[in-house]
Amino acid sequence: MAAVQDGPMELDTEKETKPEILSDGSANLSGNAGSGVLSSSPHAAGAQKPEDQQTLIAVLQFLRRNKLTESVDILKREAGLSDDQENSKATDTGGKGDGDAGDANALLSRVSITSATAPQSAPLPLKSGDDQPDVRVVLSAYSQQGEPPLYKVYYSDLKKFIESVLDCHRAELSQLFYPLFVHMYLELVYNNNESEARAFFDKFSGDQECYYQDDLRVLCGLTKKEHMKGNETLLDFRTSRFVLRISRDSYQLLKRHLQERQNNQIWNIIQEHLYIDIFDGMPRSKSQIDSMSGSLAGEAKREVNKVKVYYGLLKEPEIEVPLDDEDDEAENEEGKPKKKKAKKDSLGSKSKKQDPNAPQQNRIPLPELKDSDKLDKIMYMKESTKRIRLSPENLPSICFYTFLNAYQGLTAVDFTDDSSLLAGGFSDSTVRVWSVTPKKLRKVKSAAELNLIDKESDDVLERIMDEKTASESKVLYGHGGPVYGVSFSPDRNYLLSSSEDGTVRLWSLQTFTCLVGYKGHNYPVWDTQFSPFGYYFVSGGHDRVARLWATDHYQPLRIFAGHLADVTCTRFHPNANYVATGSSDRTVRLWDVLNGNCVRIFTGHKGPIHSLAFSPNGKFLASGATDGRVLLWDIGHGLMIGELKGHTDTIYSLRFSRDGEILASGSMDNTVRLWDAMKAFDDIEMDDFTAATGHIHLYDNSQELLLGSYNSKSTSVIHLHFTRRNLLLAAGMYNSQ
Amino acid sequence: MASPKTLPKDAQVMVQILKDMGITEYEPRVINQMLEFTYRYVTTIIEDAKIYSTHAKKSTVDADDIRLAIQCRVDQSFTSPPPRDFLLEVARQKNITPLPLIKPYTGPRLPPDRYCLTAPNYRLKSLQKKVSSSAGRITVPRLSVGPVSSRPSTPTLGTPSVQTVGTKVGTPVSLTGQRFTVQIPQAASVKSATPTTPTVQNVLINPSLIGSKNILITTNMVSQNSSSDSTSLKRKHGDEDDYDAL
Repeated sequence: MAAVQDGPMELDTEKETKPEILSDGSANLSGNAGSGVLSSSPHAAGAQKPEDQQTLIAVLQFLRRNKLTESVDILKREAGLSDDQENSKATDTGGKGDGDAGDANALLSRVSITSATAPQSAPLPLKSGDDQPDVRVVLSAYSQQGEPPLYKVYYSDLKKFIESVLDCHRAELSQLFYPLFVHMYLELVYNNNESEARAFFDKFSGDQECYYQDDLRVLCGLTKKEHMKGNETLLDFRTSRFVLRISRDSYQLLKRHLQERQNNQIWNIIQEHLYIDIFDGMPRSKSQIDSMSGSLAGEAKREVNKVKVYYGLLKEPEIEVPLDDEDDEAENEEGKPKKKKAKKDSLGSKSKKQDPNAPQQNRIPLPELKDSDKLDKIMYMKESTKRIRLSPENLPSICFYTFLNAYQGLTAVDFTDDSSLLAGGFSDSTVRVWSVTPKKLRKVKSAAELNLIDKESDDVLERIMDEKTASESKVLYGHGGPVYGVSFSPDRNYLLSSSEDGTVRLWSLQTFTCLVGYKGHNYPVWDTQFSPFGYYFVSGGHDRVARLWATDHYQPLRIFAGHLADVTCTRFHPNANYVATGSSDRTVRLWDVLNGNCVRIFTGHKGPIHSLAFSPNGKFLASGATDGRVLLWDIGHGLMIGELKGHTDTIYSLRFSRDGEILASGSMDNTVRLWDAMKAFDDIEMDDFTAATGHIHLYDNSQELLLGSYNSKSTSVIHLHFTRRNLLLAAGMYNSQ
Repeated sequence: MASPKTLPKDAQVMVQILKDMGITEYEPRVINQMLEFTYRYVTTIIEDAKIYSTHAKKSTVDADDIRLAIQCRVDQSFTSPPPRDFLLEVARQKNITPLPLIKPYTGPRLPPDRYCLTAPNYRLKSLQKKVSSSAGRITVPRLSVGPVSSRPSTPTLGTPSVQTVGTKVGTPVSLTGQRFTVQIPQAASVKSATPTTPTVQNVLINPSLIGSKNILITTNMVSQNSSSDSTSLKRKHGDEDDYDAL
């Protein structure tokens, strides 16, 4: 382990051999080895285990930084550390694992810091071998990398270098600018160098990509350390590592350049705050990079998107559908022997074998089908036989429900699956339910009246309903703030609403009263949705997590934590095993309901995501954001497969038609656009390279895929819904100005 | 709308701030709201700082007092969501437990009554004259005040018998309870093919002297078909048989 002290070259080669496994965090030492004396510390392999020693050194650095010198002495004496050992910089293992800790310690023993040159020996944040999140946070305060006024110099140097490389590498290396800029700026602010921070910002903020302008504006207002404390998103940005995908050649160039120099502060920052995911192959072009970047955490590491996802649909239960019964259908129970031959309808799934991409039926517990559910399914099948087949030549008709006199207060809309009820959530904290069909809304009679009815009569289900108060719409009061999400249950018995007051409320649609208030998010809940089978629902809010609830548990069953900013949109996959969440950190994540793991991360949007839609076959996901683009994702491979440009404002609603041929998108620019989804998904060619690296070259075929754009009269489109027969319903609020 | 030239200086500053933060479209009243907020916030901070400085027996308010005032206000009013590592830890703990199995045939799946909003939040005053016989000494049905049974489908709770309000029982005054028959619409029902049984809810209200739960609800939910005896639900006062049967 404590071998001969060769120069930095040996360290380089050792790093070279395992670049894939180690993150660049462990390569930290080479930078410091380049300058200064190499003294071997053979007593590094002392009595203690490597991990303990590192922790010890971390604690010592912490104490020293807080000027607890006496404690430092006592601890040093008791731990038996000599000055040399204690002065050697610990490695930044980057939290990779035990194997790396071992390696890193080997390197540690061969390198000492250049403690003589004071400015550079500022204590680096030391991370222990395993990446406990709390230790990282405690120790990962921004350290001072060199003199503050020199930050400008370092940055301009890097800029000059990157501008001088070959074209093919330049695009990739330019990805570095933004994260470096933000981290350096935050570092200056954190260490109370306000004037230098401002100068740094003024000089270099103009160079950043246009799609980071919103972030830069937030940064601009952040000039003191106290400002940072309240901003959770920035704190998360500080502690998480920005992921960059760079090809091996470009990476070698960069590394060589940075290690040649005397002041390689940039290299240190890269070690600490960036994660460079190296791939073999051609460097990416600017357009490829632009399409995938934009999120607050960089791109997604390739391993993240390799987890197996069961995107197939669950098998439909077999229900006997009696033939020819148009009227008395509802009264017949399932399984009753019929006079006519019953047709077994299995919704087209002829094969009996399990789809390999579909989850097991019992992977997550689902409620059993009640008789009423079976009747619903029969109705569904009958309606679907009357469905119109849509195609580019056969576009759907659009029926628009405009909310008038809502005083700009409409914030959420939902339709039931059979399109019979419509719910609207408003900023005055009310929820209104309308009946879309001529049938009025009735609630159940009060208990006194219920006693008086004849319980044995055949139409008792109608008799329990109160005719006197039947009305077209009913108002539900109860929330304490604007209602940002509404969702009907599939059996039309319940309605969920989520609000700025931090609660999600369950309302009964039989009595039109509130049943439960689910408290868990203590901050505004931006969206909620029932699962396709009822019973479970998901909610996402300002506290950056999405929660999975069941109606009979007052606490959430699953917490999906990982986003860096608010969760603005939550949707269930058609098989109810996965939940997709879109967030203000401009990523879309797919979570597994079974164990709460994040199985996919999709980056590429340049603004907060406000709408998500799964295709009916479960394979694809569409997402729309404030940047006006709709992105299409292949869930199985974890890749972006399409980009639909055309909208000019935030896209608040996305919906696939019932058979998945058409994608409808509605936006704040008062238009509904129809896109050819069939064609968009057919055009994917998947070869080994793209599957391995995830780099697709997207063609700009938005114009060909656009089937129609329909304007409304100054009414932004908040919700879209395809009826069972493929009529498109849209809902929005009229803006008078 | 006043043109920028005639707006007061504060308002002009506010317009500039909004522009710097990238907000380009807003209603004119937003400026007024922001100015009011600013005034209230600054006043509160300065008042708090004055209190702290007099507490520290200083003659003037200095920067430390202001800093302390701001910090206290931030912890009180402008809380921020929990940090990421905390959320990850909580999530890890929550996600380890497997998803609970779903019991079949349970009717409306709601949390225990304590967590629902289905309980009545009022009580009716009894009209019976006998109640006024002793001020505060209200006749007591024989009670067993036990823990609340939480599933809506249970018909009754440990009360072994119904007594009319009129019977006197020789228990001390401190154990008082009153049973009222209150007509409350049932909370929720599930559409089922079986005919629904109408329900009456009995409410037993313990005025918390005993320290148990405040409101015990006995409900016979629509979907309950376990005990067919409970179909006769209009509680007459002398109707003790039902309880014994259950």
